[in-house]
Amino acid sequence: MTRLLSSELLKLRTTRTFYALIGGAVALILIIAVLGAALGKFTGTGTPGRDLLAVAGLSPLFALVIGVIGVTTEFRHGTITPSLLVEPVRTRLMAAKLLAQLLAGLVLGLLCYGVCAGIVAGILSSRGIATGMSTSDWIGAVIGGALATMLYAAVGLGVGAVLRNQVGAIVLVLAWVFVIENLLGIIPGFGDGIKKYGLSGVGSSLARTAGHSTRIGQVPAGLLLLGYALVLVIAGTMVVRQRDVSS
Amino acid sequence: MLLVVVAVVVVAGIVIALFGWDRYRGNRNGPDEGGAAQPTAEVFVDPDTGRRMRVWYDRDTGRREYRPEQPADAGLGVEVVAAAPRTDQADRQKEAPPAGDTMIKVSGLSKRFGETLAVEALSFSVAAGRVVGFLGPNGAGKTTTMRALLGLVRPTAGSATIEGRGYAELDHPAQTVGALLDGDDVHPGRSGRNHLRVLARAAGVAPTRVDELLELVELTGAADRRAGGYSMGMRQRLGLAAALLGDPRVLVLDEPANGLDPQGIRWLRDFLRSLAGEGRAILVSSHVLAEIAQTADEVVVINHGRSVLQAPLAELMAQRSGGMRVAGPDTARLAELLRADGAQVESASDGAIVVADRTGEQIGRIIAANGIVVSELAAHGESLEDVFFELTGPEGGPS
Repeated sequence: MTRLLSSELLKLRTTRTFYALIGGAVALILIIAVLGAALGKFTGTGTPGRDLLAVAGLSPLFALVIGVIGVTTEFRHGTITPSLLVEPVRTRLMAAKLLAQLLAGLVLGLLCYGVCAGIVAGILSSRGIATGMSTSDWIGAVIGGALATMLYAAVGLGVGAVLRNQVGAIVLVLAWVFVIENLLGIIPGFGDGIKKYGLSGVGSSLARTAGHSTRIGQVPAGLLLLGYALVLVIAGTMVVRQRDVSS
Repeated sequence: MLLVVVAVVVVAGIVIALFGWDRYRGNRNGPDEGGAAQPTAEVFVDPDTGRRMRVWYDRDTGRREYRPEQPADAGLGVEVVAAAPRTDQADRQKEAPPAGDTMIKVSGLSKRFGETLAVEALSFSVAAGRVVGFLGPNGAGKTTTMRALLGLVRPTAGSATIEGRGYAELDHPAQTVGALLDGDDVHPGRSGRNHLRVLARAAGVAPTRVDELLELVELTGAADRRAGGYSMGMRQRLGLAAALLGDPRVLVLDEPANGLDPQGIRWLRDFLRSLAGEGRAILVSSHVLAEIAQTADEVVVINHGRSVLQAPLAELMAQRSGGMRVAGPDTARLAELLRADGAQVESASDGAIVVADRTGEQIGRIIAANGIVVSELAAHGESLEDVFFELTGPEGGPS
């Protein structure tokens, strides 16, 4: 498994796509966080620190895409064939991919939430604005956000493995987060549940950046997201095990 | 809310940019233009017609063609005049090592894709030290059979095993079997070296082996370039290097000559012979009989997913009938003379004649006695290709 994991990590590190996505995530969060913290008008009430940390919520979305690409790229370019020739036990290959994605997601999450927290705290305190957050709040949010990013990568991997079509899978996960969950959220009665327990909802609850009305505890949110990731990864692994690799 | 909108736009932008870039990379080597074949300096004598054939090579598509040598080709030079493969074959068979243990065994293999029965009750085996040519027209089921053997496709019925075990049950698959299925199975953004490094790590092969193999397939100079920019032949050679990573005992190669230039083909042919000489079992598919004729000890011919024949190549050749072929400016007169002498003469489509019941010497005497000019007088038989077509039927794809 060590061999396979190191092979999977090398796969990630040897394409530009991976660096472009990581770089894109960090740069985007950096810019928005700096602008928001430097120019934002804060009334002195509430928790501006938490509101601005929500910017780092972009990193789970990038992790989602990285996870999807991690598996679909093998089908897209046919590299699944040499990969399976070297490791014909497909469950083992998927397990190695999962570990690699969890690791990549965790690193991305720590980077994004860490950088964002540092910038926001630094700029707000230099402007003399209270962040409304204690040190343990910050640490909890950064760790929660990193875990959310990590699990989002696993969700992406699962969806990618089920669909195997790269473009389709990326469109689906992004549409799910940006459009479908928001539309479902409008439905009276049912919508609040989606906002709380949907993918976006549990992600921001885990990162402690969710608004009051939709927030659930960090631990239940983490467990719920872990459950989503597990179900999707298991489904994806079953599909990959079952399917003929014929082109 | 504004943040979300910005995020959507930016994420979508990045994704589109990445895909656009990938697509651009992919298309650069894209569609087959064809028709740009250039004559090479390689000439060989066709064993079937006795005719000198020149190899034409299309640099862009990597496609090779064999065309009869034309007077206009005179200026091109002749770098290699290969011995007639028939003689080559005869020489080699004498020294071919005895067949060893059965390494590959396909028995009663069937595979159905939806309505299509791609492979039907196919059985054959490959022994250690042998090169077995796997022949059939395009779409005959060769690739599906190989993929079933390699655990990529689940057989509908029957089995395909290597050293008696299914591929997924092998302890060290990369050290047991090396396979090249499709040279295009490379990430276009990854360099050739990194492609091999990724596989070497998973296979537990030392990184130094990667450099050795790059050297062997002559890709060292291009190893650090993105594979998307490789020519078809380079990708094929990279795939071959990947197949050899674990120094395997069994090789399964699907159309390995695709995209190789004439020198590459010669190199591959010699290389496969030397690998078989070391006791490895090699299954190599092709839809071009001529490619296999000089390398294989045995052939398995399939058509419509069914086995048509498994036999030593010599046996396949024995199915050919005899006859003498004469070409030249004056064959019509020669044909008249021969017919007057009671010989059976048929006209070939290219103006040459084929004489069924006269020896070369008898024909030669008539030619000399009548002062006829000929350009060619050679033994003629039903060509290997003809035997192949007879076995596979005329309805095989245009290949």
